[in-house]
Amino acid sequence: MTAAAEGRSPQPRRLPPWVRAGWRVGSSIVVTLLGLLGLTFFIGRMLPIDPVIAIVGEQAEQSTYDMVYKQLGLDRPLYVQFGYFIRDMMSGNFGQALFTGNRVIDDLRRVFPATIELATFAICIGVFVGVPVGMLAAVYRGRAIDHVARMVGLIGYSSPTFWLGLMGLVIFYAALGWVGGPGRLDVYFIDVVDLVTGSVLIDSAIAGEWDVFRNAFSHIVLPGSILGFASMAYISRMTRSFMLEQLGQEYVIAARVKGLSKWRVIWRHAFRNILVQLITVIALAYAFLLEGAVLTETVFAWPGFGRYLTAGLLAGDMNAVLACTLIIGLIFVGLNLLSDLLYRLLDPRTR
Amino acid sequence: MSANAAAAGPHRRRLHRWLTAEVTTSPQQASLQRLYFGWLRFRRNPLAMIGLSILLALIVIALLAPWLAHYGSNDQDLYARLKPPSAAHWLGTDELGRDIYSRLIWGSRITLYIACLVAIIAAPVGLIVGTTSGYLGGWTDTVLMRVTDIFLSFPGLVLALAFVAALGPGIENAVIAIALTAWPPIARLARAETLTIRSSDYIAAIRIQGASPLRIIVKHVMPMCVPSVIVRITLNMAGIILTAAGLGFLGLGAQPPSPEWGAMLSTGRQYLIGAWWLAAMPGLAILLTSLAFNLFGDGLRDVLDPRTE
Amino acid sequence: MQKWRYALASALALALAGPVGSPATAATPKDTLVMAWNLDALITFDPAQIAEINGNDIIRNVCDPLVEYKLDDVSKIVPKTAESWSVSEDGLKLTFKLRPNLQFPSGKKATAHDLAWSMHRVLHLGFGASANLTQWGFSKDKAEQQIVATDDHTLVAHLDKPYPLQLILSAAFANQVTQLLDKEEGMKNAKVADGKSDHGNAFFKTAPICVGPYKVRTWNANDVVILERNDNYYGYDAYAGGKPALRRIVYRHVPESGAQRLQIEKGDIDVARLLNSDDLKALSSNKDVHIEQTLMHGFTYLVFNAADPILSNPKVRLAFRYLIDYEGLGKTVIQYLGAPRNSLVPIGAYAALNEKEGLPFKLDLDKAKQILAEAGYPQGFSKKYILSANTPNPPIAQHIAANAAKIGVKLELEQMADAHLFQRARNREFDVLQIGWGAGYPDADSMISRHAVNPDNRAEAKLAQYPSWRSSWQDQKVNQWAEAAKMERDPAKRIAMYADIQRYMLENGPMAYIYQTVRSIAIRKDVVKDFQIGPFWVAYGTAKK
Repeated sequence: MTAAAEGRSPQPRRLPPWVRAGWRVGSSIVVTLLGLLGLTFFIGRMLPIDPVIAIVGEQAEQSTYDMVYKQLGLDRPLYVQFGYFIRDMMSGNFGQALFTGNRVIDDLRRVFPATIELATFAICIGVFVGVPVGMLAAVYRGRAIDHVARMVGLIGYSSPTFWLGLMGLVIFYAALGWVGGPGRLDVYFIDVVDLVTGSVLIDSAIAGEWDVFRNAFSHIVLPGSILGFASMAYISRMTRSFMLEQLGQEYVIAARVKGLSKWRVIWRHAFRNILVQLITVIALAYAFLLEGAVLTETVFAWPGFGRYLTAGLLAGDMNAVLACTLIIGLIFVGLNLLSDLLYRLLDPRTR
Repeated sequence: MSANAAAAGPHRRRLHRWLTAEVTTSPQQASLQRLYFGWLRFRRNPLAMIGLSILLALIVIALLAPWLAHYGSNDQDLYARLKPPSAAHWLGTDELGRDIYSRLIWGSRITLYIACLVAIIAAPVGLIVGTTSGYLGGWTDTVLMRVTDIFLSFPGLVLALAFVAALGPGIENAVIAIALTAWPPIARLARAETLTIRSSDYIAAIRIQGASPLRIIVKHVMPMCVPSVIVRITLNMAGIILTAAGLGFLGLGAQPPSPEWGAMLSTGRQYLIGAWWLAAMPGLAILLTSLAFNLFGDGLRDVLDPRTE
Repeated sequence: MQKWRYALASALALALAGPVGSPATAATPKDTLVMAWNLDALITFDPAQIAEINGNDIIRNVCDPLVEYKLDDVSKIVPKTAESWSVSEDGLKLTFKLRPNLQFPSGKKATAHDLAWSMHRVLHLGFGASANLTQWGFSKDKAEQQIVATDDHTLVAHLDKPYPLQLILSAAFANQVTQLLDKEEGMKNAKVADGKSDHGNAFFKTAPICVGPYKVRTWNANDVVILERNDNYYGYDAYAGGKPALRRIVYRHVPESGAQRLQIEKGDIDVARLLNSDDLKALSSNKDVHIEQTLMHGFTYLVFNAADPILSNPKVRLAFRYLIDYEGLGKTVIQYLGAPRNSLVPIGAYAALNEKEGLPFKLDLDKAKQILAEAGYPQGFSKKYILSANTPNPPIAQHIAANAAKIGVKLELEQMADAHLFQRARNREFDVLQIGWGAGYPDADSMISRHAVNPDNRAEAKLAQYPSWRSSWQDQKVNQWAEAAKMERDPAKRIAMYADIQRYMLENGPMAYIYQTVRSIAIRKDVVKDFQIGPFWVAYGTAKK
């Protein structure tokens, strides 16, 4: 029992600490990646949807079917397929997306910028609304603004985003005509601006195509706000609790006693101290936005990653679904790691 | 408070006195007192009370569905389809002329069924993995936590989507898929709790008496973790309901003609412009329920987490 | 709390008000036709591979076949890339004379050699579309001998049997398999793997180089397809020539009916092609929008697995036909989307039963109960019922299940994606299946040869392209009957034979046909003119704005 409890202590003592830390982090990343691959492969094999029919068509003869079945390597033993799978994934070769006819990697390159644009728009709303609201709620704790912020935040947590999206479309697009409809641009603005950065908003602004910019903005504002609502709820809540912790610290009281103004203390001292924690929270919120994007993009016909995933899922496209699942896993791991690292690097207390 | 107690009958007053006595005479009294004080604190939080009452109402509605519903969940009338809310159909009718109000009532059973089943699967799994991992440590810990991390490294909905796609649509499979995504945070929590419990003198004393690790985990560690696991799963309940609705929305959850709210919403999406109530009503029901769980969970956390005092 | 409630109330009030006129109606560009459609199923533009209806619809405007059915009367065959044709006396040799002025969009001349190569590759690639040739005796091994370009303008096809000319032209030579692709580009861009060439499949998938009114300019899967006018086209009208008026055709992927409706109401799009029944009904009262309905040669129907001991009983299957309120569905759920029909040959096809005789059944629960009792199941039974999640399938299935429940038959529904449904159907993994089918050509033979004829019912035969095989149902009498009708060169006799088969199948067949598909397209009256809609595809060559 005691041996087990101390199981982690025997480590090569001679290695410098940063090597050991690097080894630990590195090996855990490798194991996690392998696990991700294994899990996605497992899911892929379980998918009941037949990739062959998507290629040959529903009315095809069996001989055609068998030919394509072999071409896809589906007749080989599972472990062989897993070997190929790992090799392919490592080299970024996700295969052909059957439902688009392109290589998955090319598709992803095409759809990802749309999602990044949407998620970035949303996180901006989340940060620029969420942080001030959280601060106010903390400073005026127990007052009306705190309760309102809390209630709004809870509604943000509790709303099915796809439902908010649908209702938003009914009200702001169908009834009021304030915003653009589904999609990223109206049809006659498609192809007007060459995508350089991948963001229609930025590219059209650079090109000076303000009509396109306005149109793009009218399309992104609703899905962006709805996605942003959820992350705002999360960010404001975390800001509030970080801030409350700071406000209870002695230095704040001391500074106030010294005669510094309330907001000066809050911004110059307390806010600075929670900045590191906030950044990690924002990184995590960003990761969760990618999840929210799956349903939001489906509702808004936003040509991004989330809709690509659901379309692939419904079309029975194993390659596309696996690649998406894997990539979203990688991004999650990456952002988690990043927020961890940031925390370690920036926060003096964890050194 | 005291006015309340005074207004109540002598029995209640005696109970109140027993529950608030400064010196307790038995362990039962002590733990009941803790609960009672918690309840008193919880009761002061109006939002939490709203959450609790919505949840209680939901349970009552689910139980009394046959009496509350005006129609069966699948009573169709092709010639009364897509009718807006009226006296005959309080929340309107759907694409087959079914009464939406009645379907929502029947559907509350499904929502509760999903939520409870997920909790019943995910909580024990998380508890077992977490406590074992935390108590045994070493390789067991490394392996189990690595697996947990892998599951955690996918967003819940994406993983549930992939699993449901693999298992096939249907309410049972949706429950399994959601449970598969719900246990890892619980395992993490249980492990953290176990790590603190493990080093306590109390466990050390039992260990010296020669109790087996299995016995210690099951008899002594797990019961200590249960309260926080319950709180955690309550807090997660809103997420579970939203994920279930999301699966239903994509057609991967409950199958028709089941009045599951997400599936109703999904159908309503096709009639959005002409008949908004098809999508609006189930969406509101989902929002209300998940909000209730969040309010309740929030209040519960305030009561149990001394830091927020 | 109070405020929140107020906000919610006003939001609902706004939603209640429904769509009101939008500020600033945006008009689409003058030389561009903008259509909203569901482009989900689109996976290729290679004519040798296209196996779904939307892809076929688009490719018909990009690649011309040898001959074509007239859009407004599909029993007539009109010339396309062929200007004339003749058949030898023994009926075994077909000779097509190609137009002298065929050009690819680049201006390069197109010849019969390109066409022969295009048809050979269909056989060599062997995708589903190749059945349109193999069914008529053409084969991969003999392709080069059976289809020959004798000079730049002459293509000769050698048949294995003397099929009626009308039948073979409409079934094989009006099909996408005779669409003319650029041989040189195809050979140059062919990919060879394991010693096998893909005959340019990967290359043509996204950019087919064809003789046709338009060319594919952009295709972003699940997003947009843009066609651009082929300025070197010989003329959209087979007789009079004529260049397409519109420079661009844009298809936008808008999978939501409601979104399409809004967009056409606002004028964001000119044509909406995927609207559900209720949105069409709402649009029918819009003075700016015209709804064009066309009967297509497709069906939505139930398949009963005859390998199941209960469902193998013809009486049980007959009882199901009385569980459907054809009239009620026709007026509500499938209004604009389907016309109730029970006979397996669609109206508009050669030798179809007339409307009345093709719809003998109606909702009759007592009769269904009585037939079920005669069959030996007075207490009913339970079965699984699978269907597509796409509209309008779910409400139809729920309607049937609710009626079945009234006579004690419990049907447990499972909705799924089409890809999954097709697989279950092909593997015979179902009890009751609700699915759709599109006939390949406008002749009774198209449906009967797949839905009634089952050449080999053994599981290992795997004739998954035959819905009859999928249902494990076989009737040798029907097999012989259909073969005789197919080869009958006397039109009157042929029609009579097909009528008999249809009547027999109505009562005994393994399928219960619910409705014939109707394609309803909403078109902005003010902008679009001369839009030509046929039962198989829509042609934009003549369209103007």
